[in-house]
Amino acid sequence: MRDGASLSTTALRVAALTRHNLLLRRRDPANLITYMIIPMILMWLTKPLLTRLMPDAGTAQDVTGPLVFSSTLALQIVGMSLLSERTWRTWEMLRATPATAPELLIGKAFPVLAVLLLQQGAVIGYGVAVAGLSVTGPFLLLLAMLVWSITLLATGSLLATLVRSHAQLAVLTDLGAIVLSTLGGALLPLSMMPSIAQHVAPASPGYWAISMLKAAIRGDAAATLGPAAILGGIAVVAGTTACLRLRRGLAQLKS
Amino acid sequence: MLEATGLVKRYGHVTALDGFTLSVAPGEITGLVGHNGAGKTTFTRIVAGLAAPDAGQVTIAGLPPRRAARLIGVAPQEISLYPAVTIRETLRLFGSLHGLRRKPLAAAISEVTDALSLGGFLDQRIDSLSGGQQRRAQAAVALLHRPRLVLLDEPTAGVDPQTRRTLLAALRQRAADGAAILYTTHYLPELADLQATLAIARGGRVIARGTAQQLLSGLPGQVTVDLGDEVLKVPATDTAATLAQLLTSISKPLRGVSVTEPSLDDLYQAVASHA
Repeated sequence: MRDGASLSTTALRVAALTRHNLLLRRRDPANLITYMIIPMILMWLTKPLLTRLMPDAGTAQDVTGPLVFSSTLALQIVGMSLLSERTWRTWEMLRATPATAPELLIGKAFPVLAVLLLQQGAVIGYGVAVAGLSVTGPFLLLLAMLVWSITLLATGSLLATLVRSHAQLAVLTDLGAIVLSTLGGALLPLSMMPSIAQHVAPASPGYWAISMLKAAIRGDAAATLGPAAILGGIAVVAGTTACLRLRRGLAQLKS
Repeated sequence: MLEATGLVKRYGHVTALDGFTLSVAPGEITGLVGHNGAGKTTFTRIVAGLAAPDAGQVTIAGLPPRRAARLIGVAPQEISLYPAVTIRETLRLFGSLHGLRRKPLAAAISEVTDALSLGGFLDQRIDSLSGGQQRRAQAAVALLHRPRLVLLDEPTAGVDPQTRRTLLAALRQRAADGAAILYTTHYLPELADLQATLAIARGGRVIARGTAQQLLSGLPGQVTVDLGDEVLKVPATDTAATLAQLLTSISKPLRGVSVTEPSLDDLYQAVASHA
């Protein structure tokens, strides 16, 4: 620990950082609100079509597709939360305090994770209340949402360490979200996509996220854990790489 | 308090520090001056634990920088604050990270904002403050936890005279209370105001160190005598003796006499240019 911090000191510093980062999120809620509204509109628009095409699973597809699509867009929230520290030059101010690098990263990650869970929770809640989604495995669904949120957190953090500006981050996350989530079956069911796209789909994290969330909604633990393990692997690789780059200091990254 | 010996720091082929040696004692204000690229900011970053030297040693109260963070207060060269939060929220965050809680934290915020005349702006967002107020807010972060070593990198760049006076007064008070202060600036009259000892950096090392009086003692001033049809300008180490000698040797009526003592600017130019 940086200056011999005890566990309670660490907890207090992480709490202070978490409070502060939640405050920052509250001061700039536009992205979160947008990423909650987009899937609700999509659900409303696509429900008639999907329930006609997929009588048994149309509602689950109608909820999980827009959820995954909008949550990949929310990668931008993750990336921005780190990139802004570089723009504001505040990361160095934080590094000059007794807080350790893990404390800074955990204090940063908790609020973002909460935001991602809140966004997905709101979409699921809307799906249940308005689209008539029936959730058989609520705890399994919560686990699936957590795994997907952690994957997004790790991937977004990695993106933030790779880009030089907010504009680059926006391009990368917008393009990546549309390509990856669409390819994974977020906007159209896989069965309706060209055969080549169906073959390539498993390369997309969005594919595994939709598979995992659908399985969790119907309470199928075995079918949930496989995709969860794959997403967990992606999260570990992306998160580890991001942490290694962050240890060098955001100010020195790629600039 | 601060002991740095033989620091070397390279960025690729560029040598930013090349045997940088400097110490600052408790209660001492040291003005670190030098051209851009002299190594001032790199040195400050190493002392703050934000960069590691390639060679050499630095300690703060006997500890390496990364273990002495609670003893150090830092105000970087550029404004480095969260724009969307208030001064009070900013100080709460940094105070908490330095281990201040509840009443001690509230007392520290009150003390530092009073000293820096920020009391009326505590609940204003940083992005709504003027440049001078933001500078003072940044200094408040550096001074909040009563650090034993304060590092300020050009803290008055672009500020109005009132802000400068307020900040310098707060620093003088902290030094009087025993803090060691390392003050980087290009504006030398501030160092005279602070009665700082000087360290002049060039090419990644300190090339001159001492009080202003010590460093100025060998530097010539100038005696100017206006004779009407000509003006005599005579460089002089002892300006009084030179003036007396001139007055006795000139038979013409004098239109005017002036004596210019060497300034810190002259010292800086002389040392930094010729070392």
